[in-house]
Amino acid sequence: MGPFAATAPCTRARHSLRGDTVKPILHACIAAVLAVATTSGIARADEIKVGVIVPASGPFATYGKQFSEAIAAYQEINGTTVGDHTIEFIYRDSGGPNPDQARALAQELIIREQVDYLGGFVFTPNALAVAQLIEQSQTPTVIFNAATSIITEESDFFVRPSFTLWQVSAPMAEWALANGITTVVTAVSDYGPGIDAETGFTAAFEAGGGTIADSIRMPLATTDFAPFMQRVRDEAPDAVFAFLPVGPTTFGFVKAYNENDLRGAGIEFLGTGETDETTLEALGDAALGLTTAYHYSSAHESPENALFLSTLARLYPDAVANFASVQAYDGAHVIYEMVRAAGTDGPAAIEAVKGMSWMSPRGPVTIDPDTRHVTQNVYIRVVDKDEAGNLINREFETVEQVPDLGLVNDY
Amino acid sequence: MSPNPRRLVPDLVILAAAVGLFFVFPYDLAFLTRILIMVVFVLSLDLVLGYAGIATLGHAAMYGTGAYAAGLFAIHVSADPLLGLAAGAVAGAAIAAVSGLIMMRAHGLTLLMLSIAVAQVLQEVANKARPVTGGADGLRGIRMEPVLGIWEFDFIGRTGYWYAFTVMALVLVMLKVVVASPFGLSARGIHESPARMRAIGTPVYARLVAIYTLAGGIAGVAGALAAQVTSLVSLEVYSFEHSAEAVIMLVLGGTGRLYGAVLGVALFMTVEHLAAAVDPFNWLFIIGALVLGVVFFVPAGLMGVPGALARLGRGR
Repeated sequence: MGPFAATAPCTRARHSLRGDTVKPILHACIAAVLAVATTSGIARADEIKVGVIVPASGPFATYGKQFSEAIAAYQEINGTTVGDHTIEFIYRDSGGPNPDQARALAQELIIREQVDYLGGFVFTPNALAVAQLIEQSQTPTVIFNAATSIITEESDFFVRPSFTLWQVSAPMAEWALANGITTVVTAVSDYGPGIDAETGFTAAFEAGGGTIADSIRMPLATTDFAPFMQRVRDEAPDAVFAFLPVGPTTFGFVKAYNENDLRGAGIEFLGTGETDETTLEALGDAALGLTTAYHYSSAHESPENALFLSTLARLYPDAVANFASVQAYDGAHVIYEMVRAAGTDGPAAIEAVKGMSWMSPRGPVTIDPDTRHVTQNVYIRVVDKDEAGNLINREFETVEQVPDLGLVNDY
Repeated sequence: MSPNPRRLVPDLVILAAAVGLFFVFPYDLAFLTRILIMVVFVLSLDLVLGYAGIATLGHAAMYGTGAYAAGLFAIHVSADPLLGLAAGAVAGAAIAAVSGLIMMRAHGLTLLMLSIAVAQVLQEVANKARPVTGGADGLRGIRMEPVLGIWEFDFIGRTGYWYAFTVMALVLVMLKVVVASPFGLSARGIHESPARMRAIGTPVYARLVAIYTLAGGIAGVAGALAAQVTSLVSLEVYSFEHSAEAVIMLVLGGTGRLYGAVLGVALFMTVEHLAAAVDPFNWLFIIGALVLGVVFFVPAGLMGVPGALARLGRGR
């Protein structure tokens, strides 16, 4: 109960004082509290708390589920202690994109729960909203998803072991060029990530001498894609590059792609996360043969992935591992390594993971020392069936060690 | 205003509660500040929905415009918080005036649909104007100067808390004056019967536009506060959920009563906060049960509880 006992005199100090004297006293109190929290290891191993801000309710609740299951799997494999620190994850629900809420929750976690690390963040605005805060509190913050390139530039305390849309859509363009595809129509949902995917693909494809015949932006909520398919058909390109949010829109698009027989017309499907493991079964056989470029497939063959999948299956028999799972799994790894190297010293923790490499379930990865974003393999995959007849993303080509191209190209 | 000092009791209670909460929950100021901002927003909605009876599910249109206006003002013109609030108020009132000219000609469901449409259109405009608003990534780069050049926005959120509280208190006092004025009474009259008000010579349409514009200015202030405290504005300021939640909080507290707005927001957000901290994955059940309970047992909202108890006591 050390930390709580220590806060009582601080509260009293603020009752009796006013004005400018309050600030240094309060800071001293917080420092004292933190000191107590970090040095109370005499009675028991000290506890390092990690605040995880995720969507746990509403339409994006799957992220919260995938994250918490993967973190539980990581702790099952690696234990809940690092050295003599016990690591505890505290979850808070951000709902959907809601920067006000994300910032208030981060403040609460840092000030009241006294967390030393933050994690989570699915949406870009939520991550951006805490940038100034973590800068002031020097709290290392590990982004489990939010995929806009600019985020890590906003604070030196961000580390991102997830991905950016540039990182996966540019390799898709390069693979297409290398495989005789010279004209492409891009068809993306008209919102931030869709535009990022379109820009990333177009930049790489045109740089390699390809032609973008048409750039279609489709309303985010539409599920009727027949008119767009007609537009694609009229252009008669070699392939269509699509980006849509996971869910009904993806089903609708893939269905329309098959019904309008675009493959029969010689138009390949190129995508990124559309064939994510949590939607594959729902897509059914219509998904067979779709080509995508992405950083993780649960069918990746490696001992690390096998261990991750078997542990996950043991803890949660119904769980399906996807990109979100592996990002949280690696996020937990980054946090563990920071604690191992620096305990609760924020700036030192960030320094410690710059340039760190490890073998993730997705393959070899490195934290780029300049951007603090992950450099990773991007895999070209095709939807296929495994021996048991389940749909999987079968990796057949690897683009080695891709950095965050969005920052490199700086559009 | 009435000189009767008893009328000031609720205000003193609110002031005492604000001071008390500051010392009792020094580590929850960020959350308390969000409640205060939401109170300002719901007070504005109360004026429109509770007093004038204008059915709206798009009140976020003015909140969002105020937030973007304050954010852009801070980045491009001046980072002074009070000037930012003024910019938010003007922008919110302007949007309300323009959209009000069309909306106040409609009634009932048509009005409801129009109010949703306005907010959705504005959200799409903000989405498309990516170079200006940052689109789905949010408007970033807001760095506020100290309030009145003295109090800097601190990391614990103390300045933000007192700043939001002062604005909320001023809005509450102003609205007390407004609803007790002939202007406010005519709003109630229009709510009861537009035909009779027209018969006694009230320009109903012009009055509704005026009320809507005033409420728009207040909602703009709420949005500006949020933008300044969070230092980021996202497209969600215009979201339908935001408007709908405000209506739920108002109904919970009791429509047509200013303290109902305060009470409803405080209760809803506190329950939400506690439930979400205890079980971040299933807390929506608690909120659902709370709203159902109030709607079934005290349809007049929490402000109707004393009346309901009194009736129960009389054996009815």
